[in-house]
Amino acid sequence: MARGVFSLLFRTGIGSGSGGGGGNGDVFGKLLSDILVCPLSRQALRYCPDSQSLISDSIGVSFPIINGIPCLVPKDGKILEDQIKSTGNDDSAGADSGI
Amino acid sequence: MRLLSVRVLPLFSRHLHPLALPINTLRSVLHTLRSRAETNLQFRRRKNHRLRDYRGFTEVSEEEKRKLVGNVFSSVASKYDLMNDLTSVGLHRLWKDRLISKLGPFPGMKHLDVAGGTGDIAFRVLESIRGVGHKVMHDSFVETEGQTQIFICDINPNMLNIGKKRAIERGYTNSSYLHFVEGDAEALSFEGGSMDGYTIGFGIRNVTHIEKALAEAYRVLKKGGRFLCLELSHFEFPIFKELYDYYSFSIIPVMGELVAGDKESYQYLVESIRQFPKQDVFAQMIVDAGFQSVEYENLVGGVVAIHSGLKL
Repeated sequence: MARGVFSLLFRTGIGSGSGGGGGNGDVFGKLLSDILVCPLSRQALRYCPDSQSLISDSIGVSFPIINGIPCLVPKDGKILEDQIKSTGNDDSAGADSGI
Repeated sequence: MRLLSVRVLPLFSRHLHPLALPINTLRSVLHTLRSRAETNLQFRRRKNHRLRDYRGFTEVSEEEKRKLVGNVFSSVASKYDLMNDLTSVGLHRLWKDRLISKLGPFPGMKHLDVAGGTGDIAFRVLESIRGVGHKVMHDSFVETEGQTQIFICDINPNMLNIGKKRAIERGYTNSSYLHFVEGDAEALSFEGGSMDGYTIGFGIRNVTHIEKALAEAYRVLKKGGRFLCLELSHFEFPIFKELYDYYSFSIIPVMGELVAGDKESYQYLVESIRQFPKQDVFAQMIVDAGFQSVEYENLVGGVVAIHSGLKL
């Protein structure tokens, strides 16, 4: 169940155009592919419009976006698996509406 | 320099030089100012971030310094720009203008302004680029190839929020050129070799590990990229130094209390200036980070200094 939710989240990619993500998603998408990277691993980030966060797939950490400002301070990163476990069913509902 | 002024003056007065009387007056004024400043310094001089404050003489660890800096800027954020104008008597605007002229912004550049929360420097870069009209700027969100991108990075979200508000007031809202990112100067979230310019204005003295910030600056800059640091530095002219110390330790914290309602934060800020390495030492640190053509320019005799370097 958790794994299924995990893969659904990953499939929500750049340009999926989910609610509230429209223009911002494109801006973040372009920024991410060009310049922004994870401050910890220096690898690429992925924008997740549902959770309004940037996800570092290489180390499984997410960084929140608050008021349109990505918070990429290392200590602000939340480990993804813990987040999924704690939110449980809520995630699957959110992911479905995102696709 | 201080020793020189002590030795020379008594010599004059002993031989009843015509200037003896006014010099004695000057000496006593100097002595009063110096002893007052030294008393302040005695209590406030810190090695390894030792603080004299309501917490007492405690050594402040790096983690505590981080928290302290965080608290300072959260507390002073809303009055930060006003306090800059007051404490520097408006001069900080000229200093920042000078920084931008040394940077030489160009359309299509990718620029990173670190610790630039309220946006002063980033806005100047943007305005400077707009003034250079020889290239058409794209307004499309999608096309970022060759488009000017200015990033404002700050560790404090309050400062960034104020910067965003100011950007809106200036009409930069729909600009795809300006981006606010919360980040740590010691661990930047930008790809290596992605920036044409890197500026840090009045921020590097608040970083816990300056060498890490410099290393990160080197990493994110492209080859040929320019590093610029504007920072309060060391002012050594005799007589004026005492006045400057008096102003720093006695006047500024009071202004902080009256305007921002936070005396301790401004006391900390003033002390952090004295803690910061001298111009030459800091220049060497920049060289150690890998930069070349490192130089510095003193403004107002060293009250501020602009250090610059190139990544070649």
